[in-house]
Amino acid sequence: MFKLPSIHIGKLSMLLSILVWLALLFVDLVRIFGMINTLESGISSEITWILEILFFFTLYFFYSHTIEKNKQKDFLNLIWRAATTGIFATVVALLIELFYYSLGESKLADEPFLKNFFYHVNFALTTIFLISSALLWKHLILYQKTKQVVKQWQAFEFALLVAMFFVFFNKNNLDYSFIFGMVILLVISIVLSGNLKWIPYLNFKEKWKSLLFLFLILICTGFLFRRFLVYSNAEVYQVNLTDNLFLVALFIFIFLYALFSFLVTLFNLPTSSVFEQKLTEAINFQRLSQSIKPDENEEQVLDILMDSCMSASYADGAWLEIISHGSEVASMQRRFLDQPTQEELISAIEQSSDFSKTQYPLEPQTIRLNHPKFESALILPLEVNNSKIGKMILVKEVKDGFNKEMISIIETFSRQACIAVENHRLLNQAIKNERYQEELKIAQRVQKALLPTKLDHPESFEICAYSNAADEVGGDYYDTYKLDEDRYVLIMGDVSGKGTSAAFHMSQMKGIFHSLIQLNLSPAEFMIRANSALSKCLERNHFITASIFLINIQEQKICHARAGHVPTLFYQTSENKSEFMLVDGLGLGILRNRKYENHVQEKTFHYSTGDILVLITDGIVEAKNQKGQQFGFERIRSLVEIHKDKTPKEIQNLLIDSLHAFVGGNGMIDDDYSMMVVKFLTPQDKIKP
Amino acid sequence: MLRLEKTKESSYDIISLHGEVDASNSVELDEVIKELIDSGSKMILVDGSKLEYISSAGLGVFMSYLEDFQDQDIRFKISNLSPKVFEVFKILGLDQLIPIYSTKSEALAN
Repeated sequence: MFKLPSIHIGKLSMLLSILVWLALLFVDLVRIFGMINTLESGISSEITWILEILFFFTLYFFYSHTIEKNKQKDFLNLIWRAATTGIFATVVALLIELFYYSLGESKLADEPFLKNFFYHVNFALTTIFLISSALLWKHLILYQKTKQVVKQWQAFEFALLVAMFFVFFNKNNLDYSFIFGMVILLVISIVLSGNLKWIPYLNFKEKWKSLLFLFLILICTGFLFRRFLVYSNAEVYQVNLTDNLFLVALFIFIFLYALFSFLVTLFNLPTSSVFEQKLTEAINFQRLSQSIKPDENEEQVLDILMDSCMSASYADGAWLEIISHGSEVASMQRRFLDQPTQEELISAIEQSSDFSKTQYPLEPQTIRLNHPKFESALILPLEVNNSKIGKMILVKEVKDGFNKEMISIIETFSRQACIAVENHRLLNQAIKNERYQEELKIAQRVQKALLPTKLDHPESFEICAYSNAADEVGGDYYDTYKLDEDRYVLIMGDVSGKGTSAAFHMSQMKGIFHSLIQLNLSPAEFMIRANSALSKCLERNHFITASIFLINIQEQKICHARAGHVPTLFYQTSENKSEFMLVDGLGLGILRNRKYENHVQEKTFHYSTGDILVLITDGIVEAKNQKGQQFGFERIRSLVEIHKDKTPKEIQNLLIDSLHAFVGGNGMIDDDYSMMVVKFLTPQDKIKP
Repeated sequence: MLRLEKTKESSYDIISLHGEVDASNSVELDEVIKELIDSGSKMILVDGSKLEYISSAGLGVFMSYLEDFQDQDIRFKISNLSPKVFEVFKILGLDQLIPIYSTKSEALAN
């Protein structure tokens, strides 16, 4: 049987139970036939009992199977099912009684076969009612399963099982052992009947309905039990089926649980609205906490907030004031109030002695109003990310209408709503930021293109350069320019600050430098012109520092001017030492008039083979390690002196590696930094034979 | 971290800078100077004895008021800069435009 698919178990057990019942009926009728005709039928009462127990089992299987299948049904449905079965059993029993009543004193009324048949029908229907109800109660009891309750139920089931077979032991006598068993089952039933956790989940209407159903079940149980008592006293029935401990225990259990449920539901009625309120609050809370999608707006959250707060406090009216665009107060979401009333209320609030003059109180504030209709108000500030976004005003028609619990739940609502609004704003911000990131990436690409990909230089000197921005874009700039066969210009510039503003100024600088370079100016003149051009386009508190080198490879001469830029390191082979060349020169854009001319100087010097120039920006010098020390000039100088024989590229890499090592593994260099290294080789005219 | 202290000593408004001036806090320095100018102060001394570092953004603040100092005839001085900070002023060339003294008394006397 167990190998069959589970779909058939229900039908099979039903079929079996019907067959068993028919067998039971047959056996008992045969026995009566034997007795009437004083024949020994040879059927012992044990056979009846076995069939009876089989009947219980098959019914139990059938119901536990069908009820299990409809698990999702609600409590009311379960109770209704029990009630209908009970009513059916009762109505049938009543009809049978009516039938006998109508028969009166006729012969048929004493017919033992018919009587026994009806007895069996009643027995079957009552058993069906009892077993199905017990299983329905099981569902209610185990609604909130805990280990303890499950164990209690298992103990009850075990006790019932024992009670089923008890009949073999006491032969259907109402002796002390019977009473003992009944008491045990009664105690377990009472313990189980304490599990009524499903009741609070019924709403007000459902509670009324369940009261009605439970009442019907109680009536039916009582009536059927009375019928059983009548049967057990009658002598006509040869084998007593109904003085069974199992059935009596079930009667007790069904009745007790129905009674407990009835009473608890009844006493729960007055407070059910409170429970419903709490449930609504929980649901509202959940609605508020669900973050809004980016394409939805904040108003929806505020809408839910208003509804939740109003229902939590039974408010008669409310409105919301939201600060939009700075300080402008937009009144929105009026509930159950028209504009004139709202204005009246605003002035009433302002006139109230409870009203603190601050526009946005820190905490919810209850206010007594002097208004013909509304007598109390609650002002609730709304705060997102530490800034006030507005306030909500709830009004009630009764005096002191807001108690502590209401205020605290409203506060919680508003906090939750504000978090939702904040999340919404953050999400929007994040999306916007992502777009900006994309834009910045483009800017980065464009800016990279502003730096030269190929550096102009003759064979007589080697050159390399490197630039890195602290942010996506930066304000450092370097370039080379070939004036003619013998003359080359190196230039390095640094806009004060970093990031986007520096990057814009850097592009202006490049434009200006590029046009000025072609004018064949002396370095000092170049700076003066650059200053006057940049003065017109730089922001007031921004400046640019620059270094320019005009290299004449024919004469092995360099002319240099410095406009506030970090001094350039010059290594001289002849002296075997290096120095930073601090020529006087004011940064560009600091003096935005002709006086600048007095603040820039030129220096001309000669170089020879093996000499090195290292142009840097202040990002390198000022790079800090974890201890707050700066990389400084000395490290650069000693590194260059040690590695003077290496190629510019090698020197540059060494300097950058050393800089990173100094700053530390995770340390970030907080400024743009750039470098250009030039090494002079054998002069050109000497290479050529 | 930057802490600004405003005091008055023999007709000079003295701004003492503690810590570092960088892009993140140069606005505070800017506000203090602007306040003094707006209040009609004619003599301002920046005491840099506790100034550990100044970035180009910080220098930009001083620089942006150079014209105002000149137009409104305000005497603006800096004193007690550590060698490292002074070097920053010198590299940019601001030492040519703002009188920088090694001690406060020297600055107040001149």
